[in-house]
Amino acid sequence: MLTFILRRLLITIPMLVAISFLVYLGLELTPGDAVSHMINPEVANSISPEQLAEMREALGLNKSFFERFSIWLFNVVQGNFGHSLSGGVAISTIVLDRLPATLELSIFALLFSTVIGCSLGVISALKRGSPTDSALTVIGMLGVSIPEFFFGLVAILIFALNLGWLPAGGRLLPGYDSFFDRLPHIILPGIVLSLMMTAGVMRYSRSAMLDSLSREFIRTARSKGLPEWRINLIHGFRVALTPVVVLIGFRLPTLIGGSVVIESVFQWPGVGSELIDAVRGSDYPLVMMIALLSVFAVLLASLIVDILTALIDPRVRLG
Amino acid sequence: MSKSSLDRKFDRIRALEEAGKLKPSSGSRALRKMMSNRLAMVGVIIFLIILLSAIFAPLLTAHDPMKVDLRSMLQTPSMDHIFGTDRTGRDVFARVLYGGRVSILVGLGSALIAAFIGVGIGCYTGYKGGLVDTIALRISEIFMSFPQIILVLLLVSITGQSLMNLIVIFVFSGWGGMYRLSRARMLSLREEEYVQALQSFGVSTFRICYKHVLPNALGPIMVNITLTTAMFILLEAGLSFLGLGVPLSIPTWGNILNVAQDLRVLQNNWWLWLPVGAVISLFVLSVNFIGDGLRDSTDPTMQG
Amino acid sequence: MANNLALSVKDLKTFFYTNKRCNKAVNGVSFDIKKGKTLGIVGESGCGKSVTASTIMQLLPKLSRIEEGSVTYYSDNGEIRIDQLERDGPEMRAIRGEEIAMIFQDPMTALNPVYTVGYQIEESLKYHTDLNPAERKARVIELLADMGIPLPEKRATEYPHNYSGGMRQRAMIAMAMSCNPKVLIADEPTTALDVTIQAQIFNLMTKLKTENDTAIMLITHDMGVIAELADEVAVMYMGNIVEAGTVDDVLRRPQHPYTRALLDSIPVLGRGKDQDIKSIRGATPDPYERPIGCQFAPRCDFATEACNVMPDEEFLSDTHRVSCARYKEIFENA
Repeated sequence: MLTFILRRLLITIPMLVAISFLVYLGLELTPGDAVSHMINPEVANSISPEQLAEMREALGLNKSFFERFSIWLFNVVQGNFGHSLSGGVAISTIVLDRLPATLELSIFALLFSTVIGCSLGVISALKRGSPTDSALTVIGMLGVSIPEFFFGLVAILIFALNLGWLPAGGRLLPGYDSFFDRLPHIILPGIVLSLMMTAGVMRYSRSAMLDSLSREFIRTARSKGLPEWRINLIHGFRVALTPVVVLIGFRLPTLIGGSVVIESVFQWPGVGSELIDAVRGSDYPLVMMIALLSVFAVLLASLIVDILTALIDPRVRLG
Repeated sequence: MSKSSLDRKFDRIRALEEAGKLKPSSGSRALRKMMSNRLAMVGVIIFLIILLSAIFAPLLTAHDPMKVDLRSMLQTPSMDHIFGTDRTGRDVFARVLYGGRVSILVGLGSALIAAFIGVGIGCYTGYKGGLVDTIALRISEIFMSFPQIILVLLLVSITGQSLMNLIVIFVFSGWGGMYRLSRARMLSLREEEYVQALQSFGVSTFRICYKHVLPNALGPIMVNITLTTAMFILLEAGLSFLGLGVPLSIPTWGNILNVAQDLRVLQNNWWLWLPVGAVISLFVLSVNFIGDGLRDSTDPTMQG
Repeated sequence: MANNLALSVKDLKTFFYTNKRCNKAVNGVSFDIKKGKTLGIVGESGCGKSVTASTIMQLLPKLSRIEEGSVTYYSDNGEIRIDQLERDGPEMRAIRGEEIAMIFQDPMTALNPVYTVGYQIEESLKYHTDLNPAERKARVIELLADMGIPLPEKRATEYPHNYSGGMRQRAMIAMAMSCNPKVLIADEPTTALDVTIQAQIFNLMTKLKTENDTAIMLITHDMGVIAELADEVAVMYMGNIVEAGTVDDVLRRPQHPYTRALLDSIPVLGRGKDQDIKSIRGATPDPYERPIGCQFAPRCDFATEACNVMPDEEFLSDTHRVSCARYKEIFENA
């Protein structure tokens, strides 16, 4: 198992370096150069040109392209992501500040969509061809077709503006930070963000389950005289689980992406809404670093998924 | 013993069969399955209605989608303005129709170009294998490890907003999936005996690849094109809603929705955002129905 | 006579209703399986032999049903009409695995890939016996050892993909035999295996038959397998039994043109290259476009107008029966 993880990490690292290089290239192409973003712009404005030239020398800005890249990469690995163009705040500070909100929302949506999506998918598959199945199929279709932000707008209009049950946006008011103060804020964005993923997981787990139920070993299990629940769940669902976990892993980028739009709609103070502001304000270093970190998150997630699949499926473990 | 509905259905089929009334069905099985798939047919109809009304927009509305009319601001829907007017007095119905042209162009156009590029590369490198294949695979992996919307936002912030840029960016972010799909199909198809037979006849690689093998992979590719179209339309709508997609001066479905970011508009002027949101949802729904129908009809393992 | 019967099938008809058509997959089939004997059912693929097996176990797909006829199982507590039981109801479940067990054609796909072989055998014991977990484990190891699997303690904790094809089929047999069933249905148990492994599996089955007095229904398309293993044979074609009898009856004195054609199409080892192997002309008809009378008529060299009516079954002896309108004339000419 350990060698499996190590081997998997070895594949991931060159990917990360390649992507970092692309991001670096992007930074070099946009106004300002990558390494100069390491200097706090507030400081840069207040010091004399001579001092600035010294700092440039010290940072290696006059060196060749690849040397600059390695200096930049070295800084990034150490957690120095440079500074935002607006306000000169360190990017690492901004991200650390915003990350908990995004994680909170994503994990809520992930749990919700996995549990609800899987259950509905399995029910739909077991009742194949029934009215329940058709209804769930159409609902699932709607779920992947309605734009998330539009669904979010309707939800805000109904539950926040008209009924006044839940807050329309924000995460927490100053001074209110117990779990129960937070809960009402996360319900709307959380459910809206989950919607598309739940529908996707449902549709997929239905077909994975149908596929699993049509396999030979189901007939074997039935020929042993096992009760139906055991055939369906212990044999059918257990085998359908592997592709479903893989799908959820593949969908994680969508979830991270989806939170960008949803965070903006609900004014959720996460990394996503920060990214939108950064794009609007042409704050290149911030955009690039958030993009780089999102790739990191995706690669990390896919590593976790691979480990999970290996744990679930004995066939993967050896191969 | 009371008979279930399934039993009654069986009895009916058996009676017909024994009377010799059931004939082997003719024609393309895929087409027949598609036609008998009610949801897919509903999808095709909705798709055509929306597509045709966008194309023939000038015939359906006399209003100019760009014309500002300060005397008729924020009017509720009426016979003259079916979906009412917006804050500068522009006719929303006309904007939805003309906006559809751009949104569908962006969605369908980007999906087709992405498919052309992805399938073109995927078929060739998947068939050839070796170094080209590895390189192409790695490049696609790099593109695909970005969450799509973040990659799009990143490129938008570098290139700036324009319709052309957006299509190029969508193609950039979307070819990877098509590439992977066609490569995977190619990897299994190239092992088939007929391909080996063609090779032994000395048919050129290019010909085997695109003329003989590609048609066998078309089913899943078509399905993927529909799904990608749906995704791009949603993506365009989302980006434009945030004001980061097509420049606001061009009406698109997303741009029309842009005003709904304002909670007052959301609450008081429903006609500005609800109809267009419904149109987007319906259109994407119809595309997904078609995609699903195509999947069922081209998948030989599906019986029923 | 009756008390050595394990299972009897009478005029069984099983139809399939897929794609809005009715396929008469099994169209009036009768046979008996006797304790301690092997009944071989032979025929080309698609002739209905596997459907017959599935019908006995009530393992039919959803869009199919038993139309007519009966499947009677002679249990220790009297006769049970299997065709009248609810498909996956408790009575049927109690019979499956415990009274009648089945092994399948492809051991590669018939075992669940994510559970250990030991677990899958134990599952049967859990539902059909009162053994406690420790006893079940011991029984699993004993079963695997009986099937000639080396290192059974270790093997029981391994997954199907760790097993070779022959090993998996042994594990399948161990699973089927775990509750000492009275009837074992083997659906082409060796088709997917190497010839050398085949012989081992057959030896194992013969051993089970003699030691446990198990009745075996062996489905195959291989006449050689029948000659080696079966006591009685039924030849199926397009949903009907065209000829049945003891192995001697059918293999030495075949009456039906189809049986003969089948026998003529097998190369015999040692006769060299010049032997005259006849293939059967034509192909099996579309199940939806069946001939009106004798199903084999369109491919039969001896067909006449008399064959346009479904022939009756005629008994040549107590055991030997054939369904052919012209078998007497053909027999005389041959």
